[in-house]
Formats: sequence, structure tokens, C-alpha cells
Amino acid sequence: MLNNLLVSVGFNPEPLDVFAIIIAGLLSNNIILVQFLGICPFLGVSKKPGSALGMGLAVTAVMVITCVVTYPIFTYILVPLGIEYLEIVVFILVIAALVQMLEMILKKFSPGLYSALGIYLPLVTTNCAILGIAEKVIAYTVVDGVITMTYTLTSAVLQGLFYGLGFTLAIVLLAGMRQKVDKLNIPKSLKGFPITMITACFMAMAFYVFTLLK
Amino acid sequence: MIMLNNLMFFVGKPINWTTFGIAVAIICGVALLMGVCIMLISKLCAVEEDPRIAEVEGCLAGANCGACGFPGCSGFAKALVDGTASLDACGLTSAQGKIEIGNILGIAVGGTEPTICVVACNGGNNCADKYAYQGYGDCASQELLAGGRKVCQAGCMGSGSCVDACPYLAIECYEGYAHVDPERCRSCGLCISACPKKLIKRVPVSAKVYVACSTECRGKDVMSACKTGCIACGKCQRLCPNDAIHLVNNVPIIDYSKCTSCMKCLEGCPRHCIKLVADNIS
Repeated sequence: MLNNLLVSVGFNPEPLDVFAIIIAGLLSNNIILVQFLGICPFLGVSKKPGSALGMGLAVTAVMVITCVVTYPIFTYILVPLGIEYLEIVVFILVIAALVQMLEMILKKFSPGLYSALGIYLPLVTTNCAILGIAEKVIAYTVVDGVITMTYTLTSAVLQGLFYGLGFTLAIVLLAGMRQKVDKLNIPKSLKGFPITMITACFMAMAFYVFTLLK
Repeated sequence: MIMLNNLMFFVGKPINWTTFGIAVAIICGVALLMGVCIMLISKLCAVEEDPRIAEVEGCLAGANCGACGFPGCSGFAKALVDGTASLDACGLTSAQGKIEIGNILGIAVGGTEPTICVVACNGGNNCADKYAYQGYGDCASQELLAGGRKVCQAGCMGSGSCVDACPYLAIECYEGYAHVDPERCRSCGLCISACPKKLIKRVPVSAKVYVACSTECRGKDVMSACKTGCIACGKCQRLCPNDAIHLVNNVPIIDYSKCTSCMKCLEGCPRHCIKLVADNIS
């Protein structure tokens, strides 16, 4: 069904690829718990499930937009000019500017969403998870000096979406657990941040099982 | 130029000036393009905001406790400018700040005296338990089990729902019940809604004494359940020279507009359940 939907709007990915991206993004290659990117908001904004969900959705939205914009910039501007090594500089510039624009547009046309995302939207601008995904989707191989992209644009955008949702999944799960752990009678020296690190560690170990799915 | 050529020693190979030029041009071009886009969008999507909102927000306390019922101080400032909120809803903003807000908005500011919270119970360890409670430590969850673990229906369980709710760290549980530190309390009211027994009450900041019990049971029942519960003997009502204390449903209520803090009720109470507010300073 997802495949039909995508074809109807002009995308035409292989169904198996879509499934693989979903599994990789949510579970087997989870951006936080397997790749250890974006740990800062993972620990910082996971006190309440509500704000964790807001942060997760903001990250997802920015990831999708990032992939939509940075992939063409890399493929059609940087590669033909032979300056692929500028990717990080250009991507940071573009992502920061895009989030700024997105914020202004939201403020004008959707004040409700704007106040719901609040501070999280500008916060994700400089998140390493965003840059990590932008770097990941432009993976390429060089054969005899000819650069071949590993992923198509469709695949890149889908990866942005599902890696973002994987981020949301991990941060909401941790927030739910933290709420319960905070109420427990644990040694004073472990209260607060230390027990959160231990919780996150066990989550990462649990998610490592999914890497066998590859 | 000589310095730039020295760069070769760092790079290890001759610098390709064409590539260098393209790289600089691309970065500058992208930055310029993004800058122009941001400028255009900020012009197109400019949201006109009442300048008074920012001014009012500057005068508010800025604690973002949410006790006024609006999302943070900025939400409260917006509601104030719209005229949908009353300044009395904020217990934290200083009197000076409220006067300034009154000047900005052209409204009169009511001279209501600020309040603080007190816990109307001092049973704690002196009050008998119905059952031993172990597990998820929250008053709300205990309340679901036969109305809490205390024999007294209006007994503080001391499990700290109010402690969790207080944004100012003013509440502490010791001796088995909750104490509000009057020096830290800002009367935001979050504990009042968090307490399942509705034991936390507001008193004026000038109040010296308060009634630390709210049971409506008969004296005989209280005697058997709690060592410090009010038995509704009415001695405080008789002792008060200003007619400020009256028993209502077996609970003494102090009328603070008449109270002169003479301490006669506190000295006379046989159950020591009329207490000094200042006793709770931690």
C-alpha cells in the first residue's frame, strides 16, 4: 500500500528497499541507540514524554527537509564542480538557514505548531544526528574517478523520515522509563543523571539485538 | 601572496587556485542565497505582535511555573494584554512589577495581599495507619487504595505528591507529613491541585498561626486515631479575644481579618494542632 501511494505521487522505489529502510531506521540502525548520534537531546529533553515527543517530531521534520535539500545540492552542485569535500560546511550552512526559514513560516501560518515545537526547533539545527543523516544519505562510490551515488533521492528522503522516527521512538521510550525510574527507591549517588545513563545503556544493549536483522 | 604560497607546505602539494576560487565562490554564493531567502521570508511572514506583550512580560516574574493557567509567562502576558486574565492570578510577580504592568495596560491593580500555602494536617507519625503501604510512592496512587493509608480521612500520607509538584522546592516531608517552607512558597497553587486530600490551604503572608488539622470527624474518633488531631473542643473559639475563630463542621476556621496574632489559641489548644507558620521554615 505504501508502495502504491509513493508511485501515485511520482516516487518509484523498490518495495523491499522501503521495508529495509523502515527496519533500519526504527530498529536495526537506530540513530541514537545503535549509531550513538544525537545523544545530547536524548538525555537532555527526555524528562517528560510530552516534550520528548515534541523534540522527536521536530528532529524528524528537520531531517526530512534536510535530506530533500542537501541531496540535490550535493549531487547537482558539489559533485559536478569536484568539491565534494565541502559537504559539511555547505550542509551546516543550509540546514541552519532552512530551520530559520521553517520557523518563520510556521510562526506565520501555524502558530499552534510553532508554540508546540517551541525551543526544540532551533535546538535541532546544530544536532549531530541531523548532519549524520545528511552525510549518510550522500554515500557514494568512486570507480575510475566517476562518482556513483549509493542511494536515490527517494531513498534518501525516506531514510530521513524513518531515522527521524527512530529518534522519536528512542527518546519517547527513555522519557517513559525515566518517569518511572525517578519514583523508585534507588541509591542517592545514582539518582538523576547517573541512572539515566545506565537506563540508556541497557536500552542500547537491547536495541543491539536488532542489528542481527541485517 | 607570499604567505598564501607558504600554505603549500601545509597542504603538501601545489594549491589549485581555480578549485580554491570555486570553493570560496560556492560557499559565498550559498550563504548569500540563504541570506536573501531568509530576508524575503522574514518580510513575507512578518507576524505583527502587540509591543506591549513584550513589555508586560519583562515586568512579570519569569518563573514560568504555569500556576496562572496559561502556558508560561509569555502566555500570561498575552492574556493580560488581551484582557482575558487577571493580574491576581500570578502570586509571584512583585508589587512593583504589578504596578508597572498596570501603568502599561492602563488598568487598576487590586491591592490583594499575597498569600502562602500551609498544610492543614500535623498528624504524620502521630496518626495511626490503616495498612502498611509499599510500592509506587505517590499520594494519588495511595488515595485509590481505600482512601489512603491513614486511619484519618483527612490525614496527610506524606508520600510527597506536593513535593514533586512544587517548582520552588518549598515543600518537604518529615515527621510523616508535608511542611511548606513559608520563606520559599510563592503561593502558585500547584500543590493545592496535586494533593488528593485537598489538605493544602492558602493563608495571608502576615498570618502567624494556622490550624494544622482539617478532620471533620467527632472528637472521640479523632482521639483514637491521631495524637495531634483536632477534637473540636471549641477551646480556641472561647479563648480568642477577637472572635476570629469559629468551628465549622468540627474544623476551626481563622478569620485573618480579625486575627491579631495574640497566640492565645495556640497556647490553649490541648492537642497542639494550632501551629506557628514560622515553625515550618526548614
